[in-house]
Amino acid sequence: MDNLVYIIFICHVTPLALMTLMLRKRSRLLVGYMLIGIFVSLFVSELNTILLGLCEDDILYVTTTITPISEEIVKALPVLFYAVVFSNDRDRVMPIAFATGVGFAMFENMVVLVQNVENVTIGWAIIRGFATALMHAVCTVAVGYGICFVKKKRKLFFCGTFALLTMAMIYHGIFNMLVQSDYKYLGFFLPALTYIPILLWHFKYYKNKEESAVKEN
Amino acid sequence: MKLILIANIIICICAFIGFTYGMIKFFKPKKAVYAQMIALAVGCVAFGRLYQVVRLLTGGDMFNGFQLGVFGVIGSLLFLFSANFGAMDSLVDDRSREFIKYRLISLAAPVAALVLYIIFVWFTDLPRSVKIASALVTVFVMQASYFHLKHLIFPDVDLGIIKCLRRYNLLALIYTFLCMAEMVVIGLGNETGILIVGVLIGSVMIGVIISAERGIKKWTI
Repeated sequence: MDNLVYIIFICHVTPLALMTLMLRKRSRLLVGYMLIGIFVSLFVSELNTILLGLCEDDILYVTTTITPISEEIVKALPVLFYAVVFSNDRDRVMPIAFATGVGFAMFENMVVLVQNVENVTIGWAIIRGFATALMHAVCTVAVGYGICFVKKKRKLFFCGTFALLTMAMIYHGIFNMLVQSDYKYLGFFLPALTYIPILLWHFKYYKNKEESAVKEN
Repeated sequence: MKLILIANIIICICAFIGFTYGMIKFFKPKKAVYAQMIALAVGCVAFGRLYQVVRLLTGGDMFNGFQLGVFGVIGSLLFLFSANFGAMDSLVDDRSREFIKYRLISLAAPVAALVLYIIFVWFTDLPRSVKIASALVTVFVMQASYFHLKHLIFPDVDLGIIKCLRRYNLLALIYTFLCMAEMVVIGLGNETGILIVGVLIGSVMIGVIISAERGIKKWTI
């Protein structure tokens, strides 16, 4: 049998890619970036295999120290590309950062599913669906926030984005460490605990924006 | 419980308090990015220490190879540097020759950090990975401490902004040197020292946010 990861990759990417052709403007952009997230996840899964070999197959060390660095850097690159080439408007960059994170998490879940197909349960799926997807999305959104400054304030962009990247790596590392320890349930709640304040801030931000637009009119 | 774990828990709790306070106060519409960066610096410390606490609680070792907790310190120093260099320095320093002596005096902070590293970390028998990680931290301490010292001593000529932020800059400068002190006590293997430095870093984390909030409030009035 061919590599199952690649089979699943083709099965998921092909219909989504075909659907992207039918979409317009913002919807196309979001689905497109979800697809990019899936591509990035496939690339990272191969990269992590190489890194695991270099670290003498110490899975715990690699997943808590090395993969957070590799994954966060590679995930940030497409968002950075969009901000540099197309637009650094926060209202555009943040949704595509979220879409990249979600696409990445979706495919990573599939890779983990393939690797542990005999041990997975519905509970596993619910937990991974909520926790991992939110964790990846939150991390990419955080880095995307810094990337928004790419054209506005260069000095803030370089240092700020790198600092946000380190923050995302640590957060990712904490999550990976918790879910492999005796405190795994804490790890599953961590992304939700950070997602809720971000969501509230997001609603408040758009509410204020709408109110100020109404006042201006 | 190991003193190093207790020290990290103290810093983590204090930094989370400071971070939450900063998020509430600074992440509002039309608030200065400068302030937000300070809050994020404290957030970086909180997450970095949380990583170290979780690592220690799950049976990990702080000294066995590179660990991500170092990124918490680096991230915080980068945010502090970025806030001063990216958002504030152009308002404070007009690059004229008149103030060259303040720029030169400010170099004392990075030089002191470098000397501390060479004497207390490089010439110890710590593992090479720890020495490299400490060298990395020292580089970021050097750049952040330069601007904190500069903004502490620079004359407030035009806008009156930097005068309001002197206390914050002093505390942030202390924080950068506490990062160095932590490296030193770890290098010496002094557990009591680690706890004392931990308590000091924790206190400074809360102090930094409060002093920044007060300073920014004065300048926006």
